Amino acid sequence: MASKNEGTLTYENSRLADYTYDNSIDRGAIDIPFALLTLVLLTVGVVMVLSASFARAYYDPTNETGGNATYYFVRQALFAMCGVGVMFVCSRFPMGFYRHISRIVMLVSIALLVLVLVPGIGEKVNGSRRWINLGFTTFQPSEVAKIGIIMYFSFLICTLKEKVTDLREGLLRFIVTLGIVCALLVLEPHMSGIIIILAIGLVMLFLGGLPMRWFVIGGLSGASLLGIGYALFPYVRERFFAWLNPFADMSGDGYQIVQSLYSIGSGGLLGLGLGNSRQKYLYLPEEHNDFIFSVVCEELGFIGAMLILTLFALLIIRGYWLSMHARDRYSALVGAGITTHLAMQVILNVAVCTNSIPCTGISLPLFSYGGTALLLQMAELGIILSLSRDVTEKR
Amino acid sequence: MFNRRRDKEPVTPNRMMLRRTLFLMIVCGIVAFFALGARLFQLQIVDHDMYETAAVEQQLRQTNVPAQRGTIYDRNMNILAMSASVSNIYISPAEIAMYDEDPVAIASGLANILGVDYATIFEKTTHTDSWYSTVARKVEDDLADRVREFKENGYYDKDGKQHSYNGIKIEEASKRYYPYGTLASHVLGFVGADDHGLAGLEYSYDEQLSGIDGRIVRATNAYGTDMMFTDFEDYYDAVDGQSIVTTIDETVQFYLEKHLDEAVVDYELQDGACGIVMDVNTGAILGMASVGDFDPNDYLAISPEAQQRVDTAMVATDEERSALLAEERNLQWRNKALTETYEPGSVFKIITLAAGLESGAIDTNSTFYCGGSLQVLGRTDPLNCWNTAGHGNETLTEAAMYSCNVAFTLIGQKVGAERFYQYARAFGLFDRTGVDLPGEASSLWWSEDVFFNKANLSQLAAASFGQTFTVTPMQLITAVSAVANGGYLMEPYVVQKILDADGTVVSQREPIVVRQVISEKTSETCCLILEQVVSGKNSTGKNAYVAGYRVAGKTGTSEDVTYEIEHGEKKYIASFLGFAPANDPQVAALVLCENPDHGASGGAMGAPTVGKILTDVLPYLGVQPQYGEGEEGIVDQRVPRVLGKTPEEARELMESAGFVVKSVKGSGAAVTAQLPAANAKVASGSEVIIYCGEEPPTEPVEMRDLIGLSYEIAKIRAGWDGLYVRGEGVMMNSNSILTVSQSIEPGTMVAPGTVVTVTLSDSSWGATART
Repeated sequence: MASKNEGTLTYENSRLADYTYDNSIDRGAIDIPFALLTLVLLTVGVVMVLSASFARAYYDPTNETGGNATYYFVRQALFAMCGVGVMFVCSRFPMGFYRHISRIVMLVSIALLVLVLVPGIGEKVNGSRRWINLGFTTFQPSEVAKIGIIMYFSFLICTLKEKVTDLREGLLRFIVTLGIVCALLVLEPHMSGIIIILAIGLVMLFLGGLPMRWFVIGGLSGASLLGIGYALFPYVRERFFAWLNPFADMSGDGYQIVQSLYSIGSGGLLGLGLGNSRQKYLYLPEEHNDFIFSVVCEELGFIGAMLILTLFALLIIRGYWLSMHARDRYSALVGAGITTHLAMQVILNVAVCTNSIPCTGISLPLFSYGGTALLLQMAELGIILSLSRDVTEKR
Repeated sequence: MFNRRRDKEPVTPNRMMLRRTLFLMIVCGIVAFFALGARLFQLQIVDHDMYETAAVEQQLRQTNVPAQRGTIYDRNMNILAMSASVSNIYISPAEIAMYDEDPVAIASGLANILGVDYATIFEKTTHTDSWYSTVARKVEDDLADRVREFKENGYYDKDGKQHSYNGIKIEEASKRYYPYGTLASHVLGFVGADDHGLAGLEYSYDEQLSGIDGRIVRATNAYGTDMMFTDFEDYYDAVDGQSIVTTIDETVQFYLEKHLDEAVVDYELQDGACGIVMDVNTGAILGMASVGDFDPNDYLAISPEAQQRVDTAMVATDEERSALLAEERNLQWRNKALTETYEPGSVFKIITLAAGLESGAIDTNSTFYCGGSLQVLGRTDPLNCWNTAGHGNETLTEAAMYSCNVAFTLIGQKVGAERFYQYARAFGLFDRTGVDLPGEASSLWWSEDVFFNKANLSQLAAASFGQTFTVTPMQLITAVSAVANGGYLMEPYVVQKILDADGTVVSQREPIVVRQVISEKTSETCCLILEQVVSGKNSTGKNAYVAGYRVAGKTGTSEDVTYEIEHGEKKYIASFLGFAPANDPQVAALVLCENPDHGASGGAMGAPTVGKILTDVLPYLGVQPQYGEGEEGIVDQRVPRVLGKTPEEARELMESAGFVVKSVKGSGAAVTAQLPAANAKVASGSEVIIYCGEEPPTEPVEMRDLIGLSYEIAKIRAGWDGLYVRGEGVMMNSNSILTVSQSIEPGTMVAPGTVVTVTLSDSSWGATART
């Protein structure tokens, strides 16, 4: 398909052409497997939100839903529909456009991260100022920052090329950016956000060609960072101990994870059947959110959970595959970055639900309840679909 | 910054980038998912059962359906203890907060209905992490209904919608009632807050009475309310407790307690009194009581005197005061007739007598000489008889009548230490009786080594008249019952039948013979000798005499040696054990008067109390009286109702009832009034007046002093004023039996025809004499 464009490549001659839809129509079609996997997972995710949330929505212990059992579901379904639209819209913008706005996205991210710290704009929930209330919905600037880092780092790598590894001219920019973002996240504070953003940043540098020895050093410093976090933040320590033996404090720190393990464990091979989770009756906290996968395991069993994980794995593999076959370096980097972000969220979320890593608040993409987060995820996947249009070796 | 030149020739990903992306694909797309899959396999397949069990355990909630506790009946199916359903009211502060209910409204509403302090309830509502905080326990049904109504009416939200209070909870429970209050409290015991017995029959038969609580098992959400869309519910029916029918007779128990209470007042008993009434032939306990007692309906409450002792005690801390309170409670809960041992004193001579006769060491013709004291091998000082002047030559019967210590020491020596020991053991005095009540104490005896010491007979000597060892009152009455009933040691018991909830007999207790200790012949002999202790001239047990009944028995006065060692003060127990009729014993009664203020005497305190008990109990139990010579005059009779009869008929009725018609006033054809009133019980042979038309006199007369007279003289003197007497105490015609008190004080102005009760007692028996 790309060859078709070569003759009349307005893209090369006109700066404006980068932004026209007309031009993008001429690009190839989106990658069907990737789009289908996304839509299937999104559909299952919305259904699971209904199943997982209706008990809490009905009993309404926090006076949020007014006892309407479909409260969360209806909202999630609306956002999912919008999300599909967002994904297809995003898939239509040419990759040059994304490359062009990379720095702006980064700056906006940082601005939002600063804004959220302002009392009155940022909402304080459970001692952390992570949310900006837009009136009709809320969103986390850290979600924007993730895509910001991916885009900006991809842009830097493409611009700097081999100078990436130069400490003064290249690496410093990455480090400073990550430093600023992480510092702002520390102020919120937002531990899981820091972990994901650091990981994304490192993966970007990894793809950008940073020598392996840096990662050894980085790994060590990361470990020491963990140590520092462990020493500085009491809640990190508490979570660590709760992870080691959640049953030691079943009604306190271990409560969430124990309830999650009960849910997953009682699912067995075939599960209790869709809609039949018992743990969702207010035993399991965050059952339609961070722990929605536990409800999946309880209702759909080992088979169902593995099926969904397989779909995620296929989506991720396809994402990487598309990135590897991207037409240009920026697309490849952004694609791999977004796919890694997706993979990391899925893997870490499931790892938390199964108590494979210490408990921290990481949502499951396409499943967890949360409107703006979902819209951003769909936008990210839309960017991958956009780059897939330029991939020639489809199928 | 936006370098268009670079855009013109798009830079494709280099090989390193592709390699690294592939690496990420393998790690994030394949390896990680295999790891997660393995973890899920572990949780969902390998450990599935463990997690499922734990999850189900928290998801299922059990609601207890309390079983109705069984009823305790007396032998005539009067209800002594029963359960009724009540409610426990509690609040769930967490739910009050969760549903945003008004704690002020809830607290004031509950305070109004239940009379619980508002501030207390409100304080409870502030503990919003709690799901269960009790407001009132064992609330009666009508109050619980009002609480239920208050809960349902609830409140109106700002939209005018009605909500019931989720934070108020009503829980089914049951409450124990004891309709007779303090009656038989020590036998019945009481139940604690958890509805399980803590003392008495409630404790020993707790398993049978309790039944099995039912359960409702439901799947619930984390807040304990029903899970939606699941109708999982399992019922396990409650099995109501069994009821028990006791051998206790409410009437006998009432008489026993009444006379014990009187004894406590009359003899100023510092430590109260206790007593047992037993069916001699079966071992069934008809009555058992200790004074002071308690009300099992409110078993924590102590008597006002005890409360005052606690309040005024000089203690430093509240803990010490609580300890004192606990001590007073324990004191009132003690079933002294069973849980405490004492030196039986001379009452034990019954056993020595039986052992002597059965072993052949003595016979009815044996005679003894009492010089007032006796030198006993192993004792430095001679053993004194209570009558230091000595009883002189005496027959066996006389030795018993006068309760001669010297004679019984000689009997003990004739029996010998080993055989004496054997008989004591055979009479069950070494073992617990096995009565089905909790807390039975163990007797305390010399060891064989000491007791069998041939060089020191002092232990045997003292034991012969009931000293230097201790037994429980229960052991003693059981042993003496064996002496009385033909020699059969019975296992005493309180519960004769167990009924299920429908009233069907589940099990029935037959009397258990432990062993035959003495022959029927020996038993008979003992009964006749012991009858003389009560009816013989100048004998020690005279005050237990009951007109019309052949009462046998033995007095006893003993000192609490342990108490003297510990406190340096002397403390006595005056006791009497009587049974009747002597020729065919049916009922035995043992009374212990503990620590009289002055002059302890089994004959002066124990004997009259037992006498009064038997006077009431024997006719009630249907034991036919058999009057001996000269006894008729002492029996009080009911005045027949003659109103409306002709004067002739009236005279005939009166005379046939044993009264003398003094005069017929007026000339009417029918009786218009009578003195004394119909159905009054007065001395037989009293002079009655019949009015036919004429008005009876109404002018008050002065009560004269009737104390220190024989019953006959008292009757005549009262008659001088147109008054009547009835007797109490030793209802016997004898020059030595005189009135000791009268129910109406001398000098009081009373209406003509008033009946005054006089108490008769054996004046020849010194109040301070010890037996």
